[in-house]
Amino acid sequence: MDDIKKIARELFTSGKVNAVLGYVSINGQRTKPFLATKPEETDNFIINKYILNNLTVYLTKKEILKYGKIGIFAKGCDVKAIVALLQESQIKREEVYIVGINCNGVCADFDMEFSGETIALKCLNCEVRTPKLYDELIGTTEEMPKADDGKLKMIRKIEALSSAEKWDIFEEQFDKCIKCYACRQACPLCYCERCISDKSVPRWIESSASKRGNFSWNIIRAFHLAGRCIGCNECERACPMEIPLSLLNRKMAMVAQEEFKYVSGLDPNTPTLIGSYDLKDDEDFIE
Amino acid sequence: MKIGVFICHCGENIGRTVDCVRVAKACSFFPNVVHSVEYKYMCSDPGQNMIKQAIKDLKLDGVVVGSCSPHMHEKTFRKAVSDAGVNPFLCEIANLREHVSWVHDDKEVATDKAIDLMRFAVEKVKRNAPLKTIQVPVTKRTLVIGGGIAGIQAALDVANAGYEVVLVEKEPSIGGHMSQLSETFPTLDCSQCILTPRMVEVYQHPKIKLMTYSEVEKVEGFIGNFKVTIRKKARFVDDTLCSGCGDCAIKCPIKKKALSEFDEKLAFRSAIYVPFPQAVPNIPVIDKEVCTYFKNGKCSMCVKVCGRNAIKFDQQDEFISEDIGAIIVATGYKLYTIDKKPEASEIKGYGEYGYGKYKDVVDGLQFERIASASGPTSGEFQRPSDGKTPKKIVFIQCVGSRDESKGFSYCSKICCMYTAKHAMLYKHKVHDGEAYVFYMDIRAGGKMYEEFVRRAIEEDGVKYIRGRVSRIYEEDGKYIVKGEDTLAGVPIQIDADMVVLATAMVAQTDAPKLAQTIGMPYDNYGFYSEVHPKLRPVESSTGGVFLAGACNSPRDIPDSVAMASAAAAKALVLFGSDMLEREPTIAFVNENLCAGCFYCKKVCAYNAIEVKQIKDKNGNVIKEVAFVNSGLCQGCGTCNATCPSKAIELIGYTDEQIYAEIAALM
Repeated sequence: MDDIKKIARELFTSGKVNAVLGYVSINGQRTKPFLATKPEETDNFIINKYILNNLTVYLTKKEILKYGKIGIFAKGCDVKAIVALLQESQIKREEVYIVGINCNGVCADFDMEFSGETIALKCLNCEVRTPKLYDELIGTTEEMPKADDGKLKMIRKIEALSSAEKWDIFEEQFDKCIKCYACRQACPLCYCERCISDKSVPRWIESSASKRGNFSWNIIRAFHLAGRCIGCNECERACPMEIPLSLLNRKMAMVAQEEFKYVSGLDPNTPTLIGSYDLKDDEDFIE
Repeated sequence: MKIGVFICHCGENIGRTVDCVRVAKACSFFPNVVHSVEYKYMCSDPGQNMIKQAIKDLKLDGVVVGSCSPHMHEKTFRKAVSDAGVNPFLCEIANLREHVSWVHDDKEVATDKAIDLMRFAVEKVKRNAPLKTIQVPVTKRTLVIGGGIAGIQAALDVANAGYEVVLVEKEPSIGGHMSQLSETFPTLDCSQCILTPRMVEVYQHPKIKLMTYSEVEKVEGFIGNFKVTIRKKARFVDDTLCSGCGDCAIKCPIKKKALSEFDEKLAFRSAIYVPFPQAVPNIPVIDKEVCTYFKNGKCSMCVKVCGRNAIKFDQQDEFISEDIGAIIVATGYKLYTIDKKPEASEIKGYGEYGYGKYKDVVDGLQFERIASASGPTSGEFQRPSDGKTPKKIVFIQCVGSRDESKGFSYCSKICCMYTAKHAMLYKHKVHDGEAYVFYMDIRAGGKMYEEFVRRAIEEDGVKYIRGRVSRIYEEDGKYIVKGEDTLAGVPIQIDADMVVLATAMVAQTDAPKLAQTIGMPYDNYGFYSEVHPKLRPVESSTGGVFLAGACNSPRDIPDSVAMASAAAAKALVLFGSDMLEREPTIAFVNENLCAGCFYCKKVCAYNAIEVKQIKDKNGNVIKEVAFVNSGLCQGCGTCNATCPSKAIELIGYTDEQIYAEIAALM
């Protein structure tokens, strides 16, 4: 994709944007997010199998908002986050210029060869390889390597367990948490001015990395993402303690789809799951 | 803070199951509690004085009463506290009756729970802030929905008191079911003769804005301050030009395509029609479904004959917005009907009676039309199939009523009386005719009611048979009615010329939809619910919404009229003051924390959340945050529960207070 630099430059020269969010290469098989504020800064822009970050997370940051209209290179999964932010009034459509990327999967992590072994799990059942929303589209979709969906298998396994066993599994996982909040910082939908974890009157979530505090933090975050999480899996990738956060988030998304036929991040005009109700909604759970 | 605790025995209601002395003792050890006592009736004058005196003597600045539900006496105790000089919102109620004594048997456990609830309330009151009630103005205009006798009565009462009324009726004319009736029990005066003067009075009243062929589309706002959108359906006739001459209906070539709703489908009407001669207003409507012009544009006979160019085929539905303070709902009932095809019918059952299959098996309202001078037979008793005078009529009561297996468990209340009336009217005109009534019980409670039924039996010779009918079938031009006389203990068979089914009164089909539009509760049957069946029978639990007539439950004319006047009185009570006091316990946004996701706005059932722009000193928008309209907010707390960063809280129920309450229980 040589024309990527050209496209990025043109966004400036045509006056469509004041800054562009993209990826630049570092050390061969690594990329990092980059905000270009001048045309010449786009010269190192790259698109490859290692564009792992969801750049959407920056769209709600004050430091970026000050530039006004922003261009963004976005994979289908990243665009789902843009859609969710539009639904939740965090960004304005006319303030974002989306260069959609036709995606053939990315690597699970840097420094590995792309194959069926190393493809990111979120890519396996991807239904948005061509983004749902964009201003221009680049690349083409091609055959993608196939692999086993290990996470789904694990979810099915946990589903079959008793409540006590489930509790034990997650307690063990959450015990690892060091409360670094990397999950929150990497999440495009964790945009609150002040996170509930920072609220002190009353303190709903104990701030220390204790058993209780860890449990309430991770469970409350999962609830706050229920019906909202778009499955970019950046939280799990960011977690230094390797807590399998996607188990919870993905299970919640599955419930949203099964019970309410709702998939987040597909259409900015659809009412959000949590923010809407239907008189025909199932009420069997109220006894 | 110095807190006083007051435990009420509620006579025996709490005292029998909760050891109130032990509760008071336990409370006296709670931090900040400086006074803790129990008394038999805290709501009584001496009880209230105990609170006032303690506030004075001990300089209390917080009060917790352990008593019945705050629904009952919160007002009483807040007033007492306020009288003693303490802000009324520094008084909390712990519900030791509905939440404890009435739902538990074990005295030990119940007492422990009562102590927990008291601890809970004490922790809350410590964090209560003194609050001031919100004052909102009252729009002194009433919306009456439904133009039957109940709606008419309510509209006239309010208007005669000097306040404006908007009366909305979905049909082309007001009058409702009462206009269809022949005579009325127990005096047998002609229904139209007593009703039509009221209809005309409504039409001529300077304070009543009549909107027929209109429906309530949207209700926003709250008590004293509703904004109501009304859909004025297109009549295709300009009501400012039409003189009501009726030429259009006479000349309309559609004669046998549309069945008259007013005549309960026993007669035809034209495509452009006035439902009945005394209709108010006397302005026709065009039935788009059958009108040839709307089908293929080939006819415009009405346009040709109309001398005033009043026919407007291009008329559209109009939406009219009204500012309203009180709403009186008087949407009435419909009869339980058994469809020709049972599977298409909303309610199944009674296929054995052949309704819909046999033309001469009719329901109560159809029989009213046959008996009525304005009906299809001009009041002559002729049966629908061949126009012959029926010599033997069987009336069957409780079809759908008092029948859990096939219909409804409730009693429709009016059928015993109207069946007696039907039989009587028939006997008065067909002297050699025989009238049989199958009944379960005769329920004739009401002034002159029992006498009326006795008169039907004793003077007019109507034959009453206690028992149910099992089956009706046709044989040699007769309807064979098979049943049982349970008093004689014998099976019985009558070869009738006609059968009248007293079918149950049921809620209007779209009753739940209107309830949802207004935001008021309804029961399993679709009838609108009152706040309290004995003490507040005409009030809906939605503030400023009152109920009149059969939309609440089956009612006859006297009951409906009485209820309508009561509802009107309730609206007038509301108009008695210029300002309404509202609870200050509403939502509040911390604008620093609000991220502007507007989930609160999405979930708010009262449209109370608005978007507020925060600007810098140069007028640039920095961010958009939620803003609570204090007039609209009802303090339900849904926004509070939805807000992910807890930037929106409920005054009087802040997270801090709730957290302290929960912590007190842990």
